[in-house]
Amino acid sequence: MAALPRRIIKETQRLMQEPVPGISAVPSESNARYFHVIVTGPEDSPFEGGLFKLELFLPEDYPMSAPKVRFITKIYHPNIDRLGRICLDILKDKWSPALQIRTVLLSIQALLSAPNPDDPLANDVAELWKVNESEAIRNAKDWTRRYAMDN
Amino acid sequence: MSAESDMEYSDNDGDEYDYYGEVDDCDMDSVDQSKTDPEYFLFSCLRVEEVEKLLNESIELLSNSLQITPSLAKVILHAYEWNAQEIINKYKENPNEVLIFSRVKSCVPSTPGNSNGSHCAVCANTTLLQKFSALACGHYFCNDCWAMHFEVQIMQGVSNTIQCMAPECEVRAPEDFVLSHVTKPSVRDRYQQFMFKDHVKSHPQLRFCPGPNCQWLFRAWVREGARRVECQGCELLTCFSCGAPHHAPTDCITIRLWLTKCADDSETANYISANTKDCPKCQICIEKNGGCNHMQCGSCRHDFCWVCLGDWKCHGSEYYECSRYKEDPNLASDSQHAQAREALKKYLHYYERWENHARSLKLEEQTLACLKSRINQKVMAGEGTWIDWQYLWDSAKLLKRCRYTLQYTYPFAYYMDNGPRKELFEYQQAQLEAEIENLSWKVERAETTDRGDLENQMDIAEKRRTTLLKDFLDININNASSSKV
Ligand SMILES: [Zn+2]
Ligand SMILES: [Zn+2]
Ligand SMILES: [Zn+2]
Ligand SMILES: [Zn+2]
Ligand SMILES: [Zn+2]
Ligand SMILES: [Zn+2]
Repeated sequence: MAALPRRIIKETQRLMQEPVPGISAVPSESNARYFHVIVTGPEDSPFEGGLFKLELFLPEDYPMSAPKVRFITKIYHPNIDRLGRICLDILKDKWSPALQIRTVLLSIQALLSAPNPDDPLANDVAELWKVNESEAIRNAKDWTRRYAMDN
Repeated sequence: MSAESDMEYSDNDGDEYDYYGEVDDCDMDSVDQSKTDPEYFLFSCLRVEEVEKLLNESIELLSNSLQITPSLAKVILHAYEWNAQEIINKYKENPNEVLIFSRVKSCVPSTPGNSNGSHCAVCANTTLLQKFSALACGHYFCNDCWAMHFEVQIMQGVSNTIQCMAPECEVRAPEDFVLSHVTKPSVRDRYQQFMFKDHVKSHPQLRFCPGPNCQWLFRAWVREGARRVECQGCELLTCFSCGAPHHAPTDCITIRLWLTKCADDSETANYISANTKDCPKCQICIEKNGGCNHMQCGSCRHDFCWVCLGDWKCHGSEYYECSRYKEDPNLASDSQHAQAREALKKYLHYYERWENHARSLKLEEQTLACLKSRINQKVMAGEGTWIDWQYLWDSAKLLKRCRYTLQYTYPFAYYMDNGPRKELFEYQQAQLEAEIENLSWKVERAETTDRGDLENQMDIAEKRRTTLLKDFLDININNASSSKV
């Protein structure tokens, strides 16, 4: 494998030394571009109390291309689909090479605090979130209990 | 020969026909069509070099009058859809506004320190200050990072709209800036190809011919309604407004709905595409190898309609009902299931006819090719000149034009609301269909058909076509709402 760019080394060091509160991101032992991520469900959100596993991968042309991020833990959220893919602008057309892993993780945490059903990825979830928010929130809490609290 | 076609020949310099064997140039389209053809539309076919010249004229004009680099002129022209005069006027009033609108400048005052000192925020490396550069926004990054950024963007197909690397900065990188960083020849080539495509796409007067591997472009001045442009290179008929295959009398929105629907339902409709059917009288298997839908069984000589398998005698023009879909009158009271079945039946009715005419067009294309070589043989054998056989060629071309329009009447009818207007439309459609099948029958037997008879049939078919278009093509009528969805 090609030598790790200085940029990735520095980012990784900083993530370990000053981690983002509520988020842990640890590079895989076998691949320094692959991170095991755990995001704590934000307070006062339907995801509170849950621990959500994600995978984050830095592609070959990172940081010119955005990191690839996916939820592994099942989550009931209008901007996250069944495969765990995330609808987040900075992961797509709003990506800038000067953004970092840290900024991406913070944005994902913010997305859990403030779901945006007007820009949906999971259409059925977004639909319910719009027409019956309290039922949608009940579902989200239920999924959090079922899938994000066991281990 | 009709009065109209007499005119057409006398308008032409008849002498030239004998000296120039070019058949393609001497069809009936060469007269003033603006009066006779409801689909008439002024446009030109251009080659890539001609379009480049056209674009360069605008670039030069803007770069000279605003005293800016051609690269910056390109960014601005792209943003203003190539309206150089508008840009010049606006620039005189407020240059800043023009530069911000076209994203040459940032709308927020630049925040320096994105990379501080000689430290690059993207690669986290420290290099000499001379190796840094920035766009008008003042966001400095090292040249290696710029080069990598541009390469990644270009390989993704981005060209005119490549942005600065700073987060949330939307300032665009002009061509000279990009090319001063990108060194790989293959990437530079790709960039320039994408730039050209992007320029054409952003230019309201230009459009690529969508024909496969076709290099021609169209230029025209109106971009609304079903507008027919014919490619000089591949002869494809395209709608200039929406880029779909030309679709009059159907409008641009409706044809998109229809084509999407057909693609979605292609499985259901597949069985229709069979090329063989059984003769309704003697049950012998008959293969369709011509475009004409008036079939005659080779075994029992029964005349029947390929589309509905009805007796051809009942397709007499006044009572021609094959093209019309008859809805079940009890529909409203039926169950949802029955309604769904009825909806499918209705769709299949129109789809079957749409698809069938498309296939007829292909088959008649072959007829046309055969005809061309047969005429050639006759001329070579001294049986008359090209001009003597011109009418055969004309008849086949006219048949193609008529059937093409007929094909596109089916999506139009499918989406039409029931009512007197639809009744009128379906009446005219049936008339056109009947005359086209008559014409097709005669064209397939052209050499044994009387010339006057054939020319008379051509005249009737074309009249039916233009009448329908005059009444229903929405660029010719003010009240097109009944055909809109
Ligand atoms: Zn750099
Ligand atoms: Zn910038
Ligand atoms: Zn073409
Ligand atoms: Zn169109
Ligand atoms: Zn038969
Ligand atoms: Zn029929």
